[in-house]
Amino acid sequence: MTAKLFPAQEIGSIAKPRWQLLGQRGEALDAKARAEWTTWEDRLHFVPPGDATAAALLAGRPADVTPGGIRDLGALFGLRYFERAGLDRVYDGEARRIEMYEYPIRQMTGFQFLGHVRSFDSKYYLKAAATGPVGLERPYHVDEFAFVKAHARGIPKLPITGPYTLADWSYNEHYLGRHPGWRGRSVRRSAQREFVVDIARTAIRPTLKALIDAGCRVLQIDEPAAGTHPDEADLVAEGFNAATEGLDAEFSMHICFSEYASLFPAILEAKRCRQWAWEFANRDTPDRDGYEVLKLFREYGDTREIGLGVVDVHRDEIETARQVADRILRASKYLGDPRRIWVNPDCGLRTRSLEVAYRKLERVVEGAAIARRTLEGPSAS
Amino acid sequence: MQVDAALTGAYPRSEALVAATRDLDRGRTTPEAVAALFARSEGEVVDLERRLGLAPATGGILRWADLFRPIAETWSGFTVGPLTRWFETNTFFRQPILHHPPERAPGALAARLPAAARTTGTRAKAILPGPYTLAGLLENRSGETNEALVHRLGRLLAAEVTELKGLGYAGVQFQEPLLVVDVPSGPRAESVVAAYRAIAEAATGTATTVWTFFADAGPALPVLARIPVGTIGVDLAETEPEELARFPEGKGLGLGVIDPRTSLPEDPTAVVEIVRRILGTTSPSSVTLGPGGPLDLLPWGPAARKLEVLPEAVARLGGSA
Repeated sequence: MTAKLFPAQEIGSIAKPRWQLLGQRGEALDAKARAEWTTWEDRLHFVPPGDATAAALLAGRPADVTPGGIRDLGALFGLRYFERAGLDRVYDGEARRIEMYEYPIRQMTGFQFLGHVRSFDSKYYLKAAATGPVGLERPYHVDEFAFVKAHARGIPKLPITGPYTLADWSYNEHYLGRHPGWRGRSVRRSAQREFVVDIARTAIRPTLKALIDAGCRVLQIDEPAAGTHPDEADLVAEGFNAATEGLDAEFSMHICFSEYASLFPAILEAKRCRQWAWEFANRDTPDRDGYEVLKLFREYGDTREIGLGVVDVHRDEIETARQVADRILRASKYLGDPRRIWVNPDCGLRTRSLEVAYRKLERVVEGAAIARRTLEGPSAS
Repeated sequence: MQVDAALTGAYPRSEALVAATRDLDRGRTTPEAVAALFARSEGEVVDLERRLGLAPATGGILRWADLFRPIAETWSGFTVGPLTRWFETNTFFRQPILHHPPERAPGALAARLPAAARTTGTRAKAILPGPYTLAGLLENRSGETNEALVHRLGRLLAAEVTELKGLGYAGVQFQEPLLVVDVPSGPRAESVVAAYRAIAEAATGTATTVWTFFADAGPALPVLARIPVGTIGVDLAETEPEELARFPEGKGLGLGVIDPRTSLPEDPTAVVEIVRRILGTTSPSSVTLGPGGPLDLLPWGPAARKLEVLPEAVARLGGSA
């Protein structure tokens, strides 16, 4: 249960500022990047006094900008961006990350990248196969978290790609190959289970443990693939349980753009999941109540927290604070308990401009305040 | 019995095509340079098909952004809509939105098929979306019922078949995953049969195939049996072999023995055994081995490696490859 009603949290990545991208490429800031820098520095004051990277960027000395320095500055920007918008739980906007699949897989052993597969149109992703038993080269995201922990003013919440998604987005050669003969549906499912659980136990769990040992208390396990195969919701839960077994922290599971009803009740077997952080605003239209699906939690007697998506990350149109409040209040009614609700964007805001994303975050916070006042009276902050 | 093998859907883009199409998006190359690379790559797919004895040749429909885009972009009545998940995969298509009853644009769809497949002296097969799958996955704002739309799309696709016959295509294959994912019954099933009757009338003298994938074909066999095409293809990764004992007599049986959802190559012995097991319980007029679904779920290299099982299996089954 939350201490105050409707605390706000980030949920994923934001677009990288132009100055960071140019800095990473060793290029000088152009007029657009300088204007962006000025706008956001005035708003966020994200640059530490005497920062050498900032000085080099602004002085037009890109050769003096180090890869570590520019990423540190990008992470500080992300932190201050979320904090200034008024969020209670924050991260660095995933300033050091490019994507959520290839990097974790490259920290593991037993995988081989085979080539690019088209996602849609001319967008592709590099896809790996498990050609041997999955292992872990070294726990990852630990340095990234240490930086966030050292600089965050809000509570850090670290996102990490979950075992089911990593398995689903990979080819399963090793575990499938252990089954001789014709590999029909039941064989494939059994091999996929072995794959998911092995990633969870041998790679994700040690990484989570290292992060917890480093002081991380709140971890969001991202499972965007959870809804791809509705009959595998039990594998999502089993992977989650294997990854978190014996670990003491606040775990949430982020799922988005899925048919949630198809995940019930199997997904509820993710025992150490304390919060379901799901997308809802995208499906909330004048013709459809996007929050009605929350009734399923009540129906199945699940009383865990909800990370409630209240702004759509796929549209530039900025929700009003009243609209956000209405969504929160509707969700409260469906759940029967407002104290279980955290509010957040549906998903990462990286596809929106920094300006649009920031205004959406402000609406999340303002909408939560209106909803709080509605339930607790005008004195509620 | 004749046993042969064929490509049955989209082939992956090569790493060179991946790089070129990305460069095109970023303004780093020209449409002409990318078109030339597509043409060369289609030729490479035809060469691969010829080397492996996969016939008729398809050329891989590498240029198509998704199965529906050529129709959504060339037939009247459509706009191209939002990204939508392509069944239970991590790939997406842009959902066609149909605003009013569609009309085909003569020549436009044929122009988007790989020229290499019919200009290199081999028999060619065109791969097109099936009317039921197209009608079921588009957003229908046309005012027509789904049943009427399926029938209308069948008539329009029949006109495409007539045109393709004139261009020398030896075969036309319709991709119909939805027939097994969401099995039609009642009036919907009747509309499917009616649509394919229209296609069959146009296709006289041309080999016609309906290929199903992504789900068990067993429950759909009664309706599949009524569809007047020469060959019905099933995805063996999803279909229980025992179900095929009910496969309709007199039709060719397409067996999707390659699973495009895994890069692990199939074992030729296991493939031969499963085909023999199926042929022990049913007597189709012919057997065509191929991928169970679109191979573009794999990168180019692994897709090519997995296809190597086909000529070996055909040879061991005493077929023609």
